[in-house]
Amino acid sequence: MDGNLEISLDKLPVKRLDAIEENGAERYPPDSSYDEKGVSLIRRIDFAWAVEDDEERERKKKQKKSSKDASAAWQWQSMVENLQLAHQELSVIIDLINTVEANDAVTVAGMTRPKPLPNEVLSDLAVSAATKLQCYRQLGKYFKQSAKAFKEQIAWEARFYGALIRLQQNWKVKRQRVAASASSNEGFTIDLFDNSLYDLAAMCRPSSLSTIRVEHDSAGMLAINLTPNSCRSLHFGFLGVHSADIPKNTSKIRTHGSVEQRIRESEKESISDDDYVKETHTLLREVHQSIFNDQVFEMLNREAFNQSVGVNVTGIRENYLQLSIGQGNTLFISLMPSNKGDNQDSADTQNLESAIVPSHSFDTENKWVFPNRTSCEIYLQQIFHENAFVKEKDKPNLSGTQASGQSGKVEPSLLGHRIFSSIVLTELENVVCRVPYLHLMTHPTWHSRTSSWTVFMKVPQSILHAESQSPKSDFQNMKEAIKSQFRTKVVLNDDRINVEGEGAPNVVGLFKSSENICSVNKYECDLADLPVIILLQVASQVIYWLHEEALTVGIKTNRDFLCLTFELEQGETVSLVAHVNPGDIKGGISWWLVMEDGFAEDWKLQMDMHDGASDYRKFLGHLTLDVLYSTSMDLVSMCGGGRNH
Amino acid sequence: MNKGTGVGTGPTAAAAAAAAQKQKTMMQRVETDIANIVDNFTQLVNVARVNDPPVRNSQETFMMEMRAARMVQAADSLLKLVSELKQTAIFSGFASLNDHVEQRTNEFNQQAEKTDRMLARIGEESAASLKELESHYYSSAQRTADTE
Repeated sequence: MDGNLEISLDKLPVKRLDAIEENGAERYPPDSSYDEKGVSLIRRIDFAWAVEDDEERERKKKQKKSSKDASAAWQWQSMVENLQLAHQELSVIIDLINTVEANDAVTVAGMTRPKPLPNEVLSDLAVSAATKLQCYRQLGKYFKQSAKAFKEQIAWEARFYGALIRLQQNWKVKRQRVAASASSNEGFTIDLFDNSLYDLAAMCRPSSLSTIRVEHDSAGMLAINLTPNSCRSLHFGFLGVHSADIPKNTSKIRTHGSVEQRIRESEKESISDDDYVKETHTLLREVHQSIFNDQVFEMLNREAFNQSVGVNVTGIRENYLQLSIGQGNTLFISLMPSNKGDNQDSADTQNLESAIVPSHSFDTENKWVFPNRTSCEIYLQQIFHENAFVKEKDKPNLSGTQASGQSGKVEPSLLGHRIFSSIVLTELENVVCRVPYLHLMTHPTWHSRTSSWTVFMKVPQSILHAESQSPKSDFQNMKEAIKSQFRTKVVLNDDRINVEGEGAPNVVGLFKSSENICSVNKYECDLADLPVIILLQVASQVIYWLHEEALTVGIKTNRDFLCLTFELEQGETVSLVAHVNPGDIKGGISWWLVMEDGFAEDWKLQMDMHDGASDYRKFLGHLTLDVLYSTSMDLVSMCGGGRNH
Repeated sequence: MNKGTGVGTGPTAAAAAAAAQKQKTMMQRVETDIANIVDNFTQLVNVARVNDPPVRNSQETFMMEMRAARMVQAADSLLKLVSELKQTAIFSGFASLNDHVEQRTNEFNQQAEKTDRMLARIGEESAASLKELESHYYSSAQRTADTE
């Protein structure tokens, strides 16, 4: 309040005459009730002074502020002040109304909003419009976020289902109709078990790897997670033979596994979807192969205990089977994880090999006798595939036990045959190497249990040329009838050796009138007798040839099994005798010259005794065919020159 | 998708009827969702007018938020429908699957034949090479000199 005090004077509370009517009645103003008095008093309150004070205060404040730095004014300051003023007015009015209502003197009859000023109308409209605009903007943001999320989901689904469709073209994808909202894989699985094995399915237990769950990885792409070392591969080997190719096998498979691991661990996003699907295909194929290997191993386990097959189980462990087949050969078959390290794998193999004593030790020189490990593994898998899959499809009536029984029999027979065939080949080569005029030729039979070789004895070309240049034309016709090479055929069926040779005399030849027919002998023999048989056959062929050569020059000789006898003048005989000794290092066939009758005494005087030969025999040594031919021609000439024609 | 291609007799009749029913349901869902989206969007646009009482604006704000949420939910429902269709395509596209399987089978058979021929050829060549090498070796001067 300022210094000027305003005083208002009230009239005295005396009833004053209000009006006098003509009839003299006096009218006084009505008596106001207590409430009316209060109301009139309130009405007389004048708030103008307060309002003026406030306005003056505001003006002063504004002046103060404008005198300060105007650029530092807060942009919301005026609004704040207006709000404060409004708040003040409102609080005063509310207090007044509350006081009035509390006193029950007056009640608020109604409050009418003051008519807004145009600028207030526009500002209200602006506020509303701004609010609505803000609301729409928020909606727009919300829609954009949702659209982005939907796009990501579409892209994710496109990747996932695209990959799944591509996988489905090669693999069996199944869907589990369960509430998979909590899990991340939506119930897809890939079934790798082959239910076409009708009989084996009943016997085989499905592998734990048969059903693979399809899951999502962090990028939303489908992922297949396998436990490490879950894929196993088949390993085959012969005990006592340290194969150098163990690391090669594991390294080959390990490369595959390490590639897979590397892709999983790092730089996954940089690989395109195509590559990822290809890698997944590869992984599934590995699992499929592992299941196949498990089935092969199971088949072997079943068949190994079948006594009719011909193998004996000499050792068994988890995922390891040791068998002995044939003549003391021991082999092992094991299932090993494909992802094992090199050292670990070879160490395990060596531990297994050394832990079990082999039936007999093999020299390292003989290790090449054994078939190749990889070829045996492939053959095992092929047997199982043919008997389990192909036969089931082609002949549905064929029982599974019969098929598997056949498969079981084939495998040890094949291995035994191959080992034995290598041994037979060794023997043949030993024989052929020592005799210079023998050639060995291998005949591939394309049959897994039959092997065939031919031992050729070839007449040297020098002899053939020399004879062809002979002026005796009629002998050339005979020359065509003389063989220039003789054969001895060796056939191995399973473990039976058959030798078939020509040139040796036999019962059939005795009854044949013509001596030009070269008879053929056939017989079986053992491995130990094979070198002797071959050498005997060759020696008889040489004798036959010399006999024929002598016949061409018109000299008739007597031919025995290993002896060619020339009749000389005066009744004496000279014989070329072949001596066969497989253990002779210098050569298997050596020759003796045996004289009989008239020459005996002369030879007795002339012969040296220190070579150990008898008086009637002279050791000629290991002769080549050239020397033999010239020797026989010399003997022929000794038979008499007149007998040539 | 071979749905509604015709009603057969026998065991496929039930399957065809079920497929037709499923197709009808899906179409209804599609129509519902799209109608939902259109309707809500129309309402959103309609309340763009600024009214005098601010309380009405607030009321409209809440309504707009609700309609936007409904639109997003309808869109999500459509996406799920698309997922279902994809899954159905995966598991019911037998024609294309069979074709593909046959094609792969033929490819593998051809590859098997080719491999067999190649193996036979390799066998023949190796047999010929073996024969040649053996004849060369056994008639070579080196061997003859060794044995003498």
